[in-house]
Amino acid sequence: MAIELALAGADIDLILANQQGLIAIGAGLAVGLTGLGSAIAEKDIGSAAVGAFTEKEELFGKGLIMTVIPETIVIFGFVIAIMMLL
Amino acid sequence: MLKPKQMSKVLLTGHKDVLEPTIETLHDLHALHIEEYVGEDYFHIGTPLPGAEDDSKKLLKLRSIASFLGIKKSYPEPINARQLSSELEGKLETLGGVVSRKLERKSQIETDLKDVQTGMNEIEAFSGVPVNFELCSGYETLHVFAGTVRKGADVRAGLKGITDEYQFFAGDTGLFILAVPVKHMEQVTDLLAEYEFGEVKIPAISGTPDDLISELKSRQDSLTKDIESLSSEIDSVKAEYEEFILASEELLSIETQKKEAPLVFATSEHTFVIDGWIPDDEFETVRSRVEEATGNRVYVAKAEEPVDEANVPIEYDNPKIVKPMEAIMNLYARPRYNEIDPTTFVFIAFPLFYGMILGDIGYALILLGISLYGRSKLHGEGWNSLFTVLIYCNIVTLFFGILYAEFLGFPLAGIHGHPGLIPGWETIELMPGLGGEHITYPIHRTHLVTTLLVTTLLIGVIHINVGLIAGFRNVLAKHGMKAAVLEKIAWIVLQVGIFLLLFGMMGVVASMVPGAVVFALAVIMLVAGEGGTAIMEIPSILSNTLSYSRLLAVGLSSIGIATAVNVMAGMMFDSGGIFIVVAAIIFILGHALNTALSIIAPGLHALRLQYVEFFTKFYEGGGKIYNPFGYNRIYTED
Repeated sequence: MAIELALAGADIDLILANQQGLIAIGAGLAVGLTGLGSAIAEKDIGSAAVGAFTEKEELFGKGLIMTVIPETIVIFGFVIAIMMLL
Repeated sequence: MLKPKQMSKVLLTGHKDVLEPTIETLHDLHALHIEEYVGEDYFHIGTPLPGAEDDSKKLLKLRSIASFLGIKKSYPEPINARQLSSELEGKLETLGGVVSRKLERKSQIETDLKDVQTGMNEIEAFSGVPVNFELCSGYETLHVFAGTVRKGADVRAGLKGITDEYQFFAGDTGLFILAVPVKHMEQVTDLLAEYEFGEVKIPAISGTPDDLISELKSRQDSLTKDIESLSSEIDSVKAEYEEFILASEELLSIETQKKEAPLVFATSEHTFVIDGWIPDDEFETVRSRVEEATGNRVYVAKAEEPVDEANVPIEYDNPKIVKPMEAIMNLYARPRYNEIDPTTFVFIAFPLFYGMILGDIGYALILLGISLYGRSKLHGEGWNSLFTVLIYCNIVTLFFGILYAEFLGFPLAGIHGHPGLIPGWETIELMPGLGGEHITYPIHRTHLVTTLLVTTLLIGVIHINVGLIAGFRNVLAKHGMKAAVLEKIAWIVLQVGIFLLLFGMMGVVASMVPGAVVFALAVIMLVAGEGGTAIMEIPSILSNTLSYSRLLAVGLSSIGIATAVNVMAGMMFDSGGIFIVVAAIIFILGHALNTALSIIAPGLHALRLQYVEFFTKFYEGGGKIYNPFGYNRIYTED
């Protein structure tokens, strides 16, 4: 009887540990995947923006804005990750 | 403050006799933005004043000298313009002579050096071959091969089967010279072809390769020495004339600017007309000064006709403390004439957002030090604005640093039994926050995520709505009340609808119906104002607001990096011995990296919130730069 209870306790610990692990993986995916998404979008926009403002310097401000627009995605991912971990 | 400077369109008309004093006075006043005359009807474009061509020639000469000497802008004491002007001619003549001699010598040496290099390239392959090149040609019965074969191929062994009558000399690089009687030439050619023979041309000079190489080397050395001594001579010329060159470049630029000014004026046979813009508050000064200088022979008047807004040059009209922020505005676009100039909003919001994101006493002090030092060392308007903006930002950062009690990622106050950096300082709970959190002093950002997240979103709502109200004012001035309400107020109504719906969902308001009604009303207003595409735009209000969560998120990532550095350094430090040094290196390098990131990340994100989330609500930009006729003297004084 006592042994069975101990085993059950261990199981619950295991399950809880598993859940924690899955949450950590989920948080990692939230940041990692959104980061990749932002990066893919920014690399195209960024190179186009650099091209544009070497031709016309006034476009720097607009180029910068266009480049950082996809950054929002990874910010969302990061916020979600933090909320998952809490 | 919230509008660009008010401008008047001005016409100056007078007799050509007084053109010169008029130009002189306008140049001194530095207030008139001249509109170029392009039309060709009764008037035609003016001709430059006498001496313009001469001055521009001198200027050209001076600039080429400056570029040859590699003169960079520095900030010496200004020189008296009158004195400079009297000695300019003679001094420029001497300088020109000296520099052109040096230039000639330099190009001569460079050509020689290139020749030596070419010769060297030709001969180097033959190094170690003990044959005078002269002996390699001019025979009737002998044929000479020079070149290389495949690695490992033995030419002499192959020749055994053909003839014994040959001379073979190999060099250090694997290249050989082979002389055979003409009668065996074909056979030898075939043999060499088998060995993948690559022919090398024998130079048409006399001497053995090694002698020639050492000769060329010594020549190269002496030329290099020559060039070194020449460049030190050039440096001494540069040091002697630097101030003179900078000052006279400025003086001549001013002179040519004045003398060529008539090229943008309208002139007839006896009169001239100057068309331009003057800030309202300077108009009287300009009028009285011009009339005084010309004995009332120039008529200065404001144009009465209605002006096209797009043509008005824009000059910011901000208090001195806000001025550095104009650099941030210029990066985006200058405001238009009838538009709200958002520099003051940026002055408040940009440092606030930056400080909220960074919020660390340690980084704030480091960056304050750097920017104060930089501002005192680097001159120029651009640097000055940049460092001043950085100073503003880091003063706010310091404030938030005290609020958060963070120092280089370490919490200063203890919480939940974890001691802080300052012993005995414990966190005090002030009131309950959201999601079961407690608002404390100091605020621990990592322990108050939900509350802070909602706070940042509320800041977003405020910021966006300030933008919408400014937009309302802009559209009202341009297109009237109806358009302003439908295009801008509708967005505010939409947000009210969203909030009512949220409250309905949370049970604060009994029913969701009022929310839905207000929301539907806002959508109808938007469609009426901006057409069907407005429906596609509706989610943008949500993503814009959520975007302000970066005020928390970027800050947390900065804490993350700092904490990681601290933990790594701490682990090393605890190991003791040599690891204490490693810990110090990790600590310094890590925080240096994070300091650099602390300029870029919060700066860029705070900037983006202005440009993307805020400006898109009201700001068009694209005004012309106000560029008054005149010159900002640096190196000379009148």
